[in-house]
Amino acid sequence: MSYVLGIDIGSGFSKAVVCEGGSVLASAVIPSVGSYRETARTVAEAALDKARLSMADIAFTRATGYGSGAVDFADETATDIACHGAGVHYLFPHARTVIDIGAQFSKAIRVDSAGRITGFVLNEKCAGGSGRFLQVISRILHMTLEEIGAVSLRSKSPVEFTTGCAVFAESEAVSRIAEGALPADILAGVHKAIASKIANLVTRVGLAPECVVTGGGAKDIGLVRTLEAELGSEIVVPEEPQITAALGAALIAR
Amino acid sequence: MHYFAGIDIGSTMTKVAVMDESAVVSSIIGPTGPEHRRLAYRVMEDALAQAGLVFEDLVFVVATGYGRINVPFADKQVTEITCHAKGIHHLLPTVRTVVDVGGQDSKGIKILNGKVTGFVMNDKCAAGTGRFLEVMADVLGVPLARLGELSLSAERPAEISNTCTVFAQAEVTGRLANGESVPNLIAGIHEAVATRIYALVSKLKIEPDVAVTGGGAKNIGLVRALAAKFTFPVLVPPEPLLTGALGAALAGKQIYRNALKSGETLQRSGRTLKEATFFS
Repeated sequence: MSYVLGIDIGSGFSKAVVCEGGSVLASAVIPSVGSYRETARTVAEAALDKARLSMADIAFTRATGYGSGAVDFADETATDIACHGAGVHYLFPHARTVIDIGAQFSKAIRVDSAGRITGFVLNEKCAGGSGRFLQVISRILHMTLEEIGAVSLRSKSPVEFTTGCAVFAESEAVSRIAEGALPADILAGVHKAIASKIANLVTRVGLAPECVVTGGGAKDIGLVRTLEAELGSEIVVPEEPQITAALGAALIAR
Repeated sequence: MHYFAGIDIGSTMTKVAVMDESAVVSSIIGPTGPEHRRLAYRVMEDALAQAGLVFEDLVFVVATGYGRINVPFADKQVTEITCHAKGIHHLLPTVRTVVDVGGQDSKGIKILNGKVTGFVMNDKCAAGTGRFLEVMADVLGVPLARLGELSLSAERPAEISNTCTVFAQAEVTGRLANGESVPNLIAGIHEAVATRIYALVSKLKIEPDVAVTGGGAKNIGLVRALAAKFTFPVLVPPEPLLTGALGAALAGKQIYRNALKSGETLQRSGRTLKEATFFS
């Protein structure tokens, strides 16, 4: 049997997917802490354990993501754009637009009917459109990232932030909380600020259905709904949105 | 004697300048709290007490800055751009380009004979503002006021590759953990802020002399980093934070003189300082 391993070392989380032929056997997601090299081994072993395999069973390993260079046991590396495209195409063959909301970077990627990349735009300069903004706000609200999506949906009057800057929004949120603003309204306002930055990226690359959202940000249902409203388009979210690039890394034909 | 007051409610600091017909007689600088109105009242009282005056001695009060609408006892609101231009023209008449580094914004202002001929502003992104310095001072565990002097002992500035304050914060934390020296990091931070501000101000035609005002002007490291970008001498007023408040007081004086010249009655708000203690 030929087993392949895809590893995606992101700035926030690292992911591994084990595949056999064209199907997924197991996957793992862990926070990227300490060295990328260590993280890569840990996440690979976690996925292999679930598949009841060991490193010796793996015929080929491909690494991607921010820290892909540190995966010393990888046979090859690939760009995360290509891997996202391949992973999403495998899950949703009708997908033409992929929006990846990562811990530090957001990307809008266009793929064709064969899963090939036809264009992409990324935001790596500003935390305003990334998961970091959510992190900053969840910290001051004393909430986990998992909690904020559901809470934000209860908002009746979202706080309007004057800028899309995560730093300025943080102080604005602090003063609004002091004035009695509800966490739901703060979060809904933050979602709006992030969604408008991401929508800018999508507009630049050109929106085409189906639109799929991946990355940690896709687990925030409030953000996904806000993005849908902002784009005026339905959005599909994979069951496990964080592993699409790792999946793509495993699936890309050699 | 006629007295005029200018009050500048900035995002971070509130400043008051009281002047007679020729010079400043008292001034106060304090942090802007969440309650602008109460603070405006208090700092004005303090400034008046310092000058041995009462509110009724003031002929005209002008408010400026981002919180200027929250000064109920002001007779008029004037934008901080105009006030900065007036203030700097009074202090340093040769200045044609003003670089104001505030707590949450930065601006470039072009001046000719005390009048504004152009301006650019960034209040959308924390990079290139006092806020960036504040966040970094916090990461480094160094008081904001000491950044300047500490940076002077840098051997070589550490290069900060991120523009975004949030990302640069993580970058500085990482560099610190890897053993980079604090002075080198601070010098790198000043370089990053100066680069950002220079890019903003460069949208104007920069002409000498150049003055730096606002809280950022109190940081010698940042002023030197900015001076290295401009090929002109960079001047700093004796109290750079007061420029806007001084300009506001001067604007009040001008309004009074114009009214006097045209024989009109001065339009005043009619509010007293006392009323400002009540929230409407």
